[in-house]
Amino acid sequence: MTENLSLIQAVADSVSAYRDFPLIGSRAAVWIAAEIHLMFAAFVLGVPIFAVVAEAIGIFGKDPRYDRLSKEFTRLLLIAYSATAIWGAVFVILLSTLYQPLWAYLTAIFGPSMWLYVGIFFFESFTLYLYYYGWDRWKYGRAKIVHWCLGILLNIWGTIVMFIADSWLTYMMTPPRDITPQTAPASIKIWHAILNHTWMPINIHRLIGNVVFGGAIVGAYASYRFLAARTDEERAHYDWMGYVGNFIAMSALIVLPFAGYWLGREIYQYDQSLGITMMGGFMSWLWVIQAFLIAVLFLAGNYYLWVGMGRIPGAERYRPYTKWLLVVLVLGALVWGTPHTMIADSRELAAMGGSHHPLLGALGVMSAKNTAVNLMILSTFLSFLLYRRANIRQVVPWAKTGTRIQGAMFVIAAAIVLFFGIRGYFVEAIVRIGYSVYQVGAVLACIVFVTIIDVLMARGAQSLGAIQWGKMPPRSQYALFVLAVTFTWLMGLMGFARSGIRQHWHVYGVMLDTTPYAATPALGYAAIMISTCVLIFLSLVGFIFWLGGLAEKSTFVPSTVEAPHVGH
Amino acid sequence: MWAINLRIFGVVLGTLALYTLIANKIPQVQSEVPRALSLGANVTPEQLVAAGDQLFHGAGGCTTCHGLGTRAPNLLTDEKGQGPIGARCGKREPGKDCKAYLYESLTNPRAYVVAGYEPIMPDMGRTLSPQQLWALVAFLESNGGTVDVSASDIPSSTTSTPSTSATPSAGIAGGSTDPMTIIRGAGCTGCHKINGEGGAIGPDLTHVGSRLSANLIRESILTPDAKVAKGYEKFKGIMPKVFGNQLTGAQLEALVQFLAAHK
Repeated sequence: MTENLSLIQAVADSVSAYRDFPLIGSRAAVWIAAEIHLMFAAFVLGVPIFAVVAEAIGIFGKDPRYDRLSKEFTRLLLIAYSATAIWGAVFVILLSTLYQPLWAYLTAIFGPSMWLYVGIFFFESFTLYLYYYGWDRWKYGRAKIVHWCLGILLNIWGTIVMFIADSWLTYMMTPPRDITPQTAPASIKIWHAILNHTWMPINIHRLIGNVVFGGAIVGAYASYRFLAARTDEERAHYDWMGYVGNFIAMSALIVLPFAGYWLGREIYQYDQSLGITMMGGFMSWLWVIQAFLIAVLFLAGNYYLWVGMGRIPGAERYRPYTKWLLVVLVLGALVWGTPHTMIADSRELAAMGGSHHPLLGALGVMSAKNTAVNLMILSTFLSFLLYRRANIRQVVPWAKTGTRIQGAMFVIAAAIVLFFGIRGYFVEAIVRIGYSVYQVGAVLACIVFVTIIDVLMARGAQSLGAIQWGKMPPRSQYALFVLAVTFTWLMGLMGFARSGIRQHWHVYGVMLDTTPYAATPALGYAAIMISTCVLIFLSLVGFIFWLGGLAEKSTFVPSTVEAPHVGH
Repeated sequence: MWAINLRIFGVVLGTLALYTLIANKIPQVQSEVPRALSLGANVTPEQLVAAGDQLFHGAGGCTTCHGLGTRAPNLLTDEKGQGPIGARCGKREPGKDCKAYLYESLTNPRAYVVAGYEPIMPDMGRTLSPQQLWALVAFLESNGGTVDVSASDIPSSTTSTPSTSATPSAGIAGGSTDPMTIIRGAGCTGCHKINGEGGAIGPDLTHVGSRLSANLIRESILTPDAKVAKGYEKFKGIMPKVFGNQLTGAQLEALVQFLAAHK
């Protein structure tokens, strides 16, 4: 198999079909262009989702603050769209000039979908222009509903565009098994290539990931505007906006690991060696770094909420609980970051005294890690719940019973998570993998039912005082920046994991990478690349924020409506 | 305002620096590309073992699981008192000698799974060439056993050039004389299109018989640069000049007649 492939490759290579890029090399050039394009794309796909939701809350909840929030999100989109398109063009030009054989191969299969992609991007851009510039014209009555529908249409275009692009990259990762190096690309049916193993898991994972990312960037924008605010009204508005951004990011983050499990399972089902490379091979250390980043996200997100409770009258009732939540989060992060059976040579194994620590190594296996992350999710949800009910006193007659039921649900969910976590040590791997479904199911069920009970209990609740938006210490805003940087870095890291498991293949098992950059680099090099991309991206985003500030200067309208909690 | 901007910049840079530092402090493992092996008829067991050693500890990715004592059996050290793999491989499956067992373990790993382990081993035939597989077999045999892999076990590589391959050619695609099997096996469709199948780098061969005689087709296969089709001058030099060595006489003639008939 590889012989014939190598022959084709040799033919291509003999005419310098691959070119090099000056100074940084072709891999780094394509890496930077693809990564920054992807970051902007995630932003412009994630933000419209909650812009439309915020507009709907504004329309149906008759709260003009949400409408203004939605418009402010959308204004950021306008400039970000241009940046997405520019970096997309840079990426395509670099790929087609530096990696001609791969480009020719992909276009031979996916050509028609690429044309469709361009067409829909065109529609998407013009829908966005209509959506933004028509905001004040179509503000009332039926026209407002039509305007809201434009926002929905914008999301539909964006989702289709993403699904199309996902098919190209997932094909490179998991091409259908009947496609071999001998299969002529022009003979491959396009739908057959699109419907590959990881297409839909990646679509869903990215859809949720974009919301997380968009929420985090919006949170950073709000915190920047909060710190730069000159009036109390402005500070109050951006404090609230930062809270909404953080709420969106953290809520979607809670669901994201489940989409990740599905993607991981599909990768294993497609090819064990891909899965082993990802989890246990040369990338095994990547997951320790990921655990550290997730720990930062959970801690920073919760810290922001706990500091925020200082501006809520009545929240002092719940303050004693936060230290216990912190204990659970820190212990969970430590367990999740415990290494086990990492790839190592004999010298390193001898230095470690084995493939894992004799005592703590037991915490490094999936049973312990799944238990830890599920308890961290439960703790974060509890933080949100305490924040939510901080300034109210429930008046429904069954309030005490309801609270007890909620408490029981938390205990039952934690018990189920712990039970299957411990039992996982005594069963075979295939049974153990199934246990994660029960753990996740228990946590999700707890989140859903506790929220329903809480909403019902809050009916007619007595207020203990309005939230004093704007009265937030500046240090809390830097937590939002750490969240945005960490989310962006994490996206770069997981992108490296997804792309890197192909190793020296352009298209796994079908088309070899025969360039001097075929070897997949170590994490240290990848980290430098990721940090470079994040820095470029955030610098450009900072510029966009500054432009947003210029456009909005002195147009702030103070609101007399008290901003409700998200979810009320 | 400048103070705020600087503070934000500091937080961003500090966070990035921390993550980059941590990622550079952990063990740095790069995924190497398996080096193509070109083993001729005179290859010695020592050369095979050395090549297998490199693959096992490097690009083959074997140490990801073998040697940790948890995911897969230790191969280079004793396993449950049975010695290293070379000492125990001949006793694993009844009727299978060490060489056959090891080759099967690499190319059809689920055929026999050692008790106590899970069937997680991938088919290495998907990522390694036969030369590399046999080099690995030789290396594993050398750990506690006797190396009996020889040049006769190793199929000739189509990637090796005539000067480096001392193995006589058995033809492309296992010596098949079916023209389309030869065309696919030789990788022609990587550049040429025929009957709607293949790439567009070289001339379309669907109606090549109407443009070229059988003699010219033969000449184009054996010395592709002698005459270059109009419009394809810039691709002169792309087509490999190895088919005279790789195709058997019967294959060459079958191919020429087949293409000449495509009017």
